[in-house]
Formats: sequence, C-alpha cells, structure tokens
Amino acid sequence: MQRAKDTFYITLRDRIALLNPARTVLVRGAIRPGVLVEENELAVAYPLVNAFRLRWTTLSLSPEGTLPMAKMRCEIHYATAGNPGNGGMDRGRLMAAMDTELAGALNTSPQNAAKTDYAATNGPQVLGTNVFWGDVEFGALAVVGEQLQRTATVDVYSYQEVGEL
Amino acid sequence: MNPKTNRTTPLVRRVRAFFAPVDRGTGVPTIFDAAQNGRFAIDAPPTPWIDLGWCEGFRRTNAEGSNTGVSALRTGTPAITTGQVRTELESTVEIEFATWGKLQMALSCGSQQMNLLETAGASTSNGSGGTAASASSLVPGSTASSLQMSDTTVFMSGDLVSVDLDYTGQTGYVGSGVSGAYVRSAMDVGGDTNYIRRISLNVSRVVEVKDGALRLETPLLAGVPVEGMKVSRLVGFVDREGGSFFQEWSGLFVMQGEQGDRVIYHYPRLQTLRGAMEKRETLAAPLDRIRLAGAFRALPVTDANDGERILCFRSYLPA
Repeated sequence: MQRAKDTFYITLRDRIALLNPARTVLVRGAIRPGVLVEENELAVAYPLVNAFRLRWTTLSLSPEGTLPMAKMRCEIHYATAGNPGNGGMDRGRLMAAMDTELAGALNTSPQNAAKTDYAATNGPQVLGTNVFWGDVEFGALAVVGEQLQRTATVDVYSYQEVGEL
Repeated sequence: MNPKTNRTTPLVRRVRAFFAPVDRGTGVPTIFDAAQNGRFAIDAPPTPWIDLGWCEGFRRTNAEGSNTGVSALRTGTPAITTGQVRTELESTVEIEFATWGKLQMALSCGSQQMNLLETAGASTSNGSGGTAASASSLVPGSTASSLQMSDTTVFMSGDLVSVDLDYTGQTGYVGSGVSGAYVRSAMDVGGDTNYIRRISLNVSRVVEVKDGALRLETPLLAGVPVEGMKVSRLVGFVDREGGSFFQEWSGLFVMQGEQGDRVIYHYPRLQTLRGAMEKRETLAAPLDRIRLAGAFRALPVTDANDGERILCFRSYLPA
C-alpha cells in the first residue's frame, strides 16, 4: 500500500507541476512543487498555504480475487489567504485556480499510473499493476480568518501484489 | 502475469464508442482487426473509425428469457440430452450516448436523420424543413477540412453546413461517405435539388471564413469534396417517428481497463431495433441531463478465418 500511496503522490505532484510550474513551496530549505504528504513531513502548527497537502485516511481491503484490492481515501487540504500585494482580495481567484489545477490533475484521463517502488535501492522500480483513482470530490469552502480553506477527497485503488508492503 | 489465468479482472469506467460506415450499395461493413489495431490510442482511432464519445449503459444480449438460441438434442426413452444445436442467432446491444451530435442522432433515431436546411424566404411550412435556400458552389482546391467557395458572403463562423451533391434523379442509397437515405423513385422526393444535402451525414461546423474559404471544425466524413458538391447552411437536425429507412453502421465499443487491459466489442453490422428514445438523468433538480438512447440488432458477417457466420467479435487484450 505504501507504494500505491507514493505512486499517487508522485503522479499528482508531477501533474500539478506541469499544469502550474509556479506552484512551489519552500520546505526545509528546498523549493519543491506545491504538493506534499503530511505524514512524510515534520508536524507543524501552521500548515503551508498555496500548496496541496495530502492526508491518507480510511483504508479498506477487498479479499475478492487472487490479488486483494486496497481502497484508500486521500484527503487533499489546501488553503490560500490571497496575495499580500493585493491585500488578500484575490483569495477567491487563487482558490479557484487551485480547484482547477486539482481537477485537471486528477480528473483527466488517464486516471491511473503504473505502481512504482520509489524506495528501491536501485532507483524507482515499476511493478506489475496500476494504481487508479476515482473523480475528485470537492468539499465546501471554509472561511477561517483571512484564509479560504478547502478539503477535497479522492479514493485511490491498488492491487496488493505478492510480497508487497 | 499469466495470460491463461490472469489475476485481475477488467476494471473499467465507461465505454467508448466508435463508428465506421457500411457500404450499403455492396453491403460491405468496416471490419476492425483487433490483432492489428487493438491497442490504438483511445483518442485517435484508426481510419476510418470515428469517435462517438463516451457512452453509458452499455448492455448486450444474445438471449431472451429461456430462449438462449441453443437447444438440447434429446434422444432415447427416457429422453436424454445427447448433444446441442444452435437454433437461433440473435444479438442486440444498447447504449446511451453521452453527447448529442449528428452521428449519434442518426444512429439512434431509428429511422432517417435529416438536416434542417435553411429555408428560402417564406417557404411553405414542413415538419422536416421547408424548401431550402439555394446551395453555394465549391471551386477547385477544397479539402475535407477547408471548402473553397466562389462566394463566402452568406457564411459566418459558427455556421453548420451540409456538403453534398445535388439531387438529379438518383435512386437507391444516397448520401456521400455514409448512406443517409434510400430513394425508391425520384417522385418520392419531389425532385428536390437539395434532397441529398438534406439527408447527408457529410456535415460540419464553420470555424473561420477567410480568403474565400470556409475552415471546418472537423473533417468531412466523405473526405475531399468531389466535383458537383455544394454547400447548404443548416440550423439543426430532425428525425421522425415513422419512415422506412434503417441506418446501418459498423460499431466498435472499447472498455479500457485500469491495468492497461482492454475489452473490445466489434459489431460489423448494426441496425436500430426501435424508434428514437431518450434517457433522463437528474443532474441536480430541476436540471436533467438527456442522453440519446440507442438499441441495435446485429446482422451477420462471415469470418474469413473459418467461414462462420458471426454477429459480434469480443476481444480481450490483457495488460
């Protein structure tokens, strides 16, 4: 399942970077595409804005068939306070841009990617099955202080291959 | 993976439908060879297949109730089944087109599908369109995507156009690229010069009028216009409950699996088996999405490999 989670993250990260190369964040001194997985980062009191933060929540396993199928829910949290140069009055536009990027990255065909072991010692190794996902669902927009916040969810599926962690 | 006992099941989202013409004059369908082209890119079907878009509600049947088309051959007393025989071959397929267009309407309407040609002034009212305005002539140099005209002043970007021959007394199947009607006698169509453009599937939308040419959004089904073709503007499409014409087409339905596998259903000859129908799907009250619902009966072809009479080919391409 970890490989499926890694594959989904890398795919989403690369697609967002392609759609909007300017969406970047500074994390531990490094500038990266604006997509990160919360459980892979240091816990923080104030989450980054203008970036997509992935949080894995529910998990179910279907034993039907030779290969069990895992269904994992991924919450994608994002927020913006707008551009300080505009007094934050463009926060609605920036939120709409993030909505569009996320929909473009996840709802566009193909909605699958070859499952890859990114922790392999010899570099990424493509496995035998694909990770695939449903359409992203957008939650209600929340207004928290000067920020607009939204949580989108998407269900990610993968076959649990023999010997896989 | 072991292709004999694959460990995954095809997981698909939707069905993509493709159309190819049947030559009605000779009865020759378009055959899809999954061995050669089965892996084609879903957005770029091989020639001459045309994308009909995503479909919902794909359902095929080859039996009705207890009639499976296969009967037991019983002998002796008491009778015991000693063999089986095929007594009937029947195959139907149902789909709902997610998008409306000339082709989807023509295939699913159950009869002849016509173009509502722009009328000539105050013509007498008629259900499938009054007397059409004069068509515009083409000049040499046209392509399937660009029409060279002697006069483009009557055309604007966004216009829908029908491009086909004048009716000059032809009988039999008419319509370029795809037969759109069968004319029993010239009297039936009243000598309407625009009749073929009225029933033609050789239509497109103008996206630019420039330098004496109409640039089209999509290439014409019939390809490069031949000498004698003219252009008529149309305002939309009309089909009728009734009529005697059966549209026939070669169909291809592709289910793309999430693991890279693919299931392909190929019906070389499909004819509608009922009249026009729509399916309503509530998007969010009071908005309803209207899908074109089509039901088709498969007609047989002969498989060149063994001479068997076949209605449908189902191919499975493992991941």
